[in-house]
Amino acid sequence: MSWVASACVGFVRSCIVLVVSMLVPAVWAAGVAVAIWWRSPWTWIVPFVWAALGTLLLIRPVAGMVRSLLARWTGTVIPGGYRELGTVTRLSTGFWWNGHSYEKTRRDAEKDLRLRVRWTDPANWRDLRCLAILAVTAGLSAAVPPAGIVAAVLGFAQSMPVLGVAGLVVAVASSPYAWRPFEPIAVRFLRPTPSMALANRVDELTAQRADATVAQAAEIRRIERDLHDGAQARLVSLGLSLATAEKLMETDPRAAKALLKDARVGAATSLSELRELVRGINPPVLNERGLVDAVRALAMDTPLETTVSAGGQLRLDPPIESALYFGIAELLTNAVKHAQADHAEIAISHDGNGIVVLIEDDGRGDARVEDAGGLAGLRRRLAAFDGTLELTSPDGGPTRARITVPCESL
Amino acid sequence: MRILVAEDLYLLRDGMVRLLEAYGHEVVATATTGPETLDGLRKWKPDVSVIDVRMPPTQTDEGLKAALAARREVPGLPVLILSQHVEQLYARELLTDGASGVGYLLKESVFEADQFIDALERVAAGGTALDPAVVAKLLSSGTSSKRLDRLTERELSVLGLMAEGLSNQAICQRLFISESAVSKYTTSLFGKLGLTDDDTSNRRVMAVLAYLGLTGS
Repeated sequence: MSWVASACVGFVRSCIVLVVSMLVPAVWAAGVAVAIWWRSPWTWIVPFVWAALGTLLLIRPVAGMVRSLLARWTGTVIPGGYRELGTVTRLSTGFWWNGHSYEKTRRDAEKDLRLRVRWTDPANWRDLRCLAILAVTAGLSAAVPPAGIVAAVLGFAQSMPVLGVAGLVVAVASSPYAWRPFEPIAVRFLRPTPSMALANRVDELTAQRADATVAQAAEIRRIERDLHDGAQARLVSLGLSLATAEKLMETDPRAAKALLKDARVGAATSLSELRELVRGINPPVLNERGLVDAVRALAMDTPLETTVSAGGQLRLDPPIESALYFGIAELLTNAVKHAQADHAEIAISHDGNGIVVLIEDDGRGDARVEDAGGLAGLRRRLAAFDGTLELTSPDGGPTRARITVPCESL
Repeated sequence: MRILVAEDLYLLRDGMVRLLEAYGHEVVATATTGPETLDGLRKWKPDVSVIDVRMPPTQTDEGLKAALAARREVPGLPVLILSQHVEQLYARELLTDGASGVGYLLKESVFEADQFIDALERVAAGGTALDPAVVAKLLSSGTSSKRLDRLTERELSVLGLMAEGLSNQAICQRLFISESAVSKYTTSLFGKLGLTDDDTSNRRVMAVLAYLGLTGS
């Protein structure tokens, strides 16, 4: 039964692959047919131009079809890697600049940009090459089952049962496999070339660097402000109290004693402020014990009942440990504050490629990554290490978060 | 008492030695690294030792590790851990092999010199001294706070002081209530938690900590 189903599905897919991969060759075949029909060699130029233009217009939609078919059938997602459109800016002269030319209106500038990017994109050559290769490989192999059916129909219609039976057997036997060469060939020739991937990576890194610089500057400003208004001010007042106490020691020992006591209390308060500040910069446990124990310590301090499981002690690069620690802290805080959860489970492991942290709470869910929110900030911090945050949080809970960062365990 | 001081920062070590000597105690050895601390503890078996958590050579929890290792070799060896920060995690590790002769305090607790020396003597005598900050964290952490729902506010504060390692007499001084009132509170809270009341302070601390799920017993 399942074999019949796979044969039927395979037959339909083979037909689709055949049609899609033969679209461009069909345009050329039509051109050649017209040229032969006109017979005069001098007019061949017209169908040739026609076919070339048709090919140019067809390649991108056909490549898009190939991608969406593959994504639907096999789940393989091939990134496009096409050039991004730049931004259009208005100059003080009132004209619009799109990076290549000046235009009078925004619409013209955008249209010009779109056309330039579309026609100068090196991805076009890649798409063209891929479609040419697909036609003679996957296209031909996908043609086997339909050809078998055609042979069968012809055989039975013209009372040649041997041909009919042979065609039917070929069609049925090849159906489940005929469309399959489509996948490896499309993946091999349709993915972004190394230079395209590199260009995208450069864009990504530039954006991340800007984010990181801004975040670091903000963090340093915060630390400066905290020290300035906190510990520094308290030390000044401590010095004042001590100086006054020194002066009063002989004339009014009782007042001096009271001042000394104030000074001691002030010193204790500034110590606890500094401790909070240090915890916010880099929690001491993280330095002393590494990520897993630091997360255990964190879990003990939250009002949630939290279980932490880890595959042994992992030592990672300190910046990654820090990013993960604050990420987990952020998610736990959300679980308490927004999801009103009672329990949370944290699992930390290393899967060979990188570190994987799973956090699940039993709260009311509905967590979203919003542009200015804490989770978006977390995602940006992780992105600096090529890390990712996946969040599933249906309304009513539970919230599941999965953080991955590719790295070695030291 | 014969005391070992382990601290890598010269100013703090020197100040600690002077404070202890001012209270008439003898500092038999000082240590500045984790391995030195462990050697000193083995060699001198001091009545009590004051140990910093973070020390060279790795600048991680060398002091804590040395103290735990020494206590594995000499069960009940009194150690008082001093740190810039207190963690439930470290408290749990210190208490797993019994609460007798264990102290864990923030460094600024030396500001209250009398109370600090008091705690040190308590630890030397086999008692317990936990920092109020770590006790507060213990009492408010997820599992404990639910278990302690039934206690009144007064009973909670008595429980907290008990967990710090104080005796009934010290608790009544701290809360400005009579000793009989304290024993009334302890009886009622032990009853509510289903623990057996006991006069020796160490066993009381153990009972409380075991109830909070902190120790193995």
